[in-house]
Order: sequence, then C-alpha cells, then structure tokens
Amino acid sequence: MIELRDVTKIYPGQTVPAVKDLTLKIEEGETCVFVGPSGCGKSTILRMINRMIEQTSGTILINNKDIRETDPDRLRMGIGYVIQQIGLLPHRTIAENIAIVPRLYGWDKERIRKRVDELLELVGLDPDETRAKYPAQLSGGQMQRVGVARAMAADPPIMLMDEPFGAVDPIVRGHLQDEFLKLQREMKKTICFVTHDINEAIKMGDKIAIFEKGQLVQHGTPQEILSNPKNEFVRTFIGYDRVVKMLTLFQVRSITKKNSYSIIRENELANIRQKMDDEQSTVCILMNESTRPCGLITRDDLEKAGEVGPEKIKEIACSRKDAFIDGDLLLNDALSLMLEWNCDCLGVLDGAELIGVISLNDIRECVRRKEGA
Amino acid sequence: MNMARFLDALSRVPEELTIHIIMVLISLAVAIAISLPLGVLLTRPRFRKLGALVMNILNIFQAFPGMAIIALTMPVLGMGLKPAIGALVVQALLPIARNTIAGLYGVDPNTKEAAQGMGMPERKVLFEVELPLAMPVILAGIRTSAVYVVSVGTLAAYIGGGGLGDIIVAGLNMLWAEFIIVGAGFGALLAIAFDRGLSYLERKFTPPGFIVTE
Repeated sequence: MIELRDVTKIYPGQTVPAVKDLTLKIEEGETCVFVGPSGCGKSTILRMINRMIEQTSGTILINNKDIRETDPDRLRMGIGYVIQQIGLLPHRTIAENIAIVPRLYGWDKERIRKRVDELLELVGLDPDETRAKYPAQLSGGQMQRVGVARAMAADPPIMLMDEPFGAVDPIVRGHLQDEFLKLQREMKKTICFVTHDINEAIKMGDKIAIFEKGQLVQHGTPQEILSNPKNEFVRTFIGYDRVVKMLTLFQVRSITKKNSYSIIRENELANIRQKMDDEQSTVCILMNESTRPCGLITRDDLEKAGEVGPEKIKEIACSRKDAFIDGDLLLNDALSLMLEWNCDCLGVLDGAELIGVISLNDIRECVRRKEGA
Repeated sequence: MNMARFLDALSRVPEELTIHIIMVLISLAVAIAISLPLGVLLTRPRFRKLGALVMNILNIFQAFPGMAIIALTMPVLGMGLKPAIGALVVQALLPIARNTIAGLYGVDPNTKEAAQGMGMPERKVLFEVELPLAMPVILAGIRTSAVYVVSVGTLAAYIGGGGLGDIIVAGLNMLWAEFIIVGAGFGALLAIAFDRGLSYLERKFTPPGFIVTE
C-alpha cells in the first residue's frame, strides 16, 4: 500500500509547485493510473515514490513506513521501475539487463538464469532467441517487453510505470496493454501507472487519478469518473465521447439476452412470422444445416419488406451474416457493428456457438443505469 | 647523401626509440591517472560547477607551445628524462580530460535514470554503465594525446631527455640531413603506430551492443 500525505514538490528556482498538497492512497494489488496533460506533475509524483526526487514537504508511506527511513538504493531495489524510454543498458545483453536487480540482491548464477528465462517467456519473448541479443537488435515493442520483464525480475510488490507503452505504435501498444492486464490479474501487484492517454487510463486502471497543474482533480474508478466527471476540466479531458468510452468498461456478455430470440432454419422461413409471434421475439436468427448462425432478421425488417416469399427473407437475413459479435468484446464494439450493419440487433457468440442477442436498447438501458448510479 | 652517416644514424635508433617509447608511455600513464579521475569528478553533481574553471586552466596549458613548456620545466625539475616527462604530462592532460567529460555527458540520461531507478548504487552506475559507455570517446582522447606526446617528445632532447630528438638535434647541429631524416622519420612512424594501435583498442572497447550485425 502506498500512501501520500500532503505531498508538495517545488523545484528549485520555481515558485509554482509541481505537485501541491497531494493526499492519495493506493491500495495493495491495485493499479492506480495518474493521468493528465503534460506538465501536470504526474511523473514527478511517481519519481517521488522511489526517491528519484525528494518531496519538498509531506510524507510518503509504503506499507505504513516512511520512505525516507529506507536507504534510497535499497528502496528502489524493491520497486519495479519502467520508463517510457526504457533505458536498457545498450552494452549488456538482454539476459544481463534483466539480471540487474537479482544481481544486486546477490542471487546465484543458476537462479538468475532460470528467472531470466521465466521472465522472457512471461512477457512473450522466446528465451533461446532473445537471451544473448543486445537491445539494439530488438524492435521497439520487444524492448518495452524487456523493460517490463526487467522491472519484474526480483518480483517486487510495487511497480512504477511511467508511460511504459508510450513509445510504440498503437497496435503494439494495444497488445502490450492486453498482455500486461492479463499478467496483472495473476500477479496482483500494486502499480502506479502514468499516462497522458485517457483511453489507456480507462483500460488499465482500477482507479484513475486525474491531475491538473499539480493538483489532484478527481480520484475514483473509471466508471465513477466517466459517469460523473467532477468539473469542466475532467469533462473536457475525457472528451465528447464520454459515454462511448464508458461502454468500453463492459463486455457484451454482461448484457446479452439469452432467450428473447427465435431460431429458424431455412426450410421454415415461410412460417417465420408465425414462429416469431408464437415465441414473442423481435429478432430471428437463421441457422444453416450444421447449426451455425448464418443470418439475422428483425421484426422491423419483416414489416418493411411487406409480404414477400421465403427467398427474399433469406436474402435479407443473409445480408447480415456478419452481424454477430463475440461475447468477450466490449459494448463500444457492439455499437460500432450495429451502425456498420444498420441493424438494432446483434447475435452474440461464444467461439462459434450462439449464446444470445444484444440490442441497441439493451446498450441504452445499460448506459442509463450506470449514469443514474 | 652519405651512406655511412645514414647507417650511423640508424644504429642509434634502437636505443633512442626505446627511450622515446618509455617516455611516451610513462607520460601517457601519468596523464591518464590524473585526467580520467578528474574528468569523472567534474561530471559529478557536486563538482560540476568547477568544470569550466578546470577546463580553462587545462586549455591554457594546452595553448603553450611544446618548446615553451619543456623550457619552463627545466628550472623546476632540472635536466634529464624526468622534466621531459613532466612537460609531456602537462601537454597530454587536456584531450583526455575533455573527452572523459564529453563521453560521460554523452551517456543517455535515460539509461542512467533506469539504472539508478532499479537501485544501482552510484559507484556501480559509474563503473558498470557510464564508463563502459563513455569508453570509446575517452580512448579517442587518449589517442589524440598519444600522438601529441610522441611529437612533442622529440623536443625533450633539448633538456637532455634523450629519445628520437637526440638524433634530430645531432643532425641539426652538424647539418647532417641523414640524421634529421632518420630521427624525424621514426618519430612519424611511432606516432602512426600509436594512433593505429589505440584506434584498434578503441574499436575493441566499443560496447558490443553498439555494433548491430543483422
């Protein structure tokens, strides 16, 4: 647990504090994301926690112990540190880079070797291929992975990450974020994560702390902040797509309706209206012979089409053969697909299996519920 | 051209060359022993402010003509090899100190920050990160000094320091061109040899990660 009490930092020669009267608590196993425009003091806070910078006044506690009581080098050895520029030692191999902190702890060679391989695998790099390479031989994304592996080498309970995925292209960044989230779910480390990207903050954070000019503006879960921005600054920082961003917090699975739809086969298409009336459903999924969903049609479509034969109905349904979404995806993805297929309803899949449907109305209701809360 | 004089000059080369090399090596060693720690010290936060002052003093030393330095050391250290070496050391200090400082400042601050942030003690950061990464630049400074010292070393003969300068001075006194050619020629060859040798070391000490072979 990290606790900051009335922490202020004024850099020498400056009158405006870089961080002002900050009081903040980061619980054990929690990822707290510091977010704000550049120059808002978020990196300064991070660097005060491992004493790379000394605070001007106030107290910082780690597990209820004042960090000024611990020798700075000792303190830093116990805290994983990842920076945007990574800072791998260019004259050392990847294995040697990862082994830095274990060597400081004086681990024996065999133990270090094992740990290095284990870590390389953990961050998705092939140990045999990577171990003996030099940093200059890796791509940006691979270097970031090594940076994370190096920070985790001695399994520190706390990690400080200063825009750790900032220097790679958006696609690689997305991968790295997903993988790190997966790791964190098992490791449960206490993490302070700095970013200027609100989307990254929403994705990575259990809690988000928004800063403006050295002051904490709002601190809360992503949902709290998205549904209840405290002031104009936070509102602007989040952007006009605030509600769509909130949709990224929920999986499609969470609001999927499991039994408000009909299933129909090709040879039953003539009776589709009768069947939907009987089952009181508004959407019907067309299955092929191997019981794979291959099309989707709503009651609105049927009414718009008027009295048409099964062939025409099949044509409409099959034109939406891709109007299906995996249950693990997020509500904003579902919304996008609905707009793409001009369709109020999507079938929800788990792998190849149909597990339900989701409609625009369901999303609307979900938002209304969360906004009201 | 007189072949006999030529051979006479050549016969003196082994002895004088040895003295010259010893003189250069000792001067360089002493200069490195002073300049390298000085350069390291001047890049530490506590002494950073002194940097400009010390470098200016060294610059003034460097601006002195080699002949003048040699002449000035004589009244203090007397005649012989010792004052010659003293004069050469003074001349060799600046390039090494300057390159040590430049090399250390040239190390990527992010690399230092990361090393320090992981809990590496200051000494370890210096010896395991900063110096190895600055080494090519430092060695380039030593190379500059070495070539310089080899050439200024020929002036040591004037205060009885010996070395290749003896052959040249003898040639000048007697107006024997053969002696001058042999002395100056071997001086030039020695300078080239030092330059090549040290540039080989420089390449060897370049951290392997800097050379990407794909």
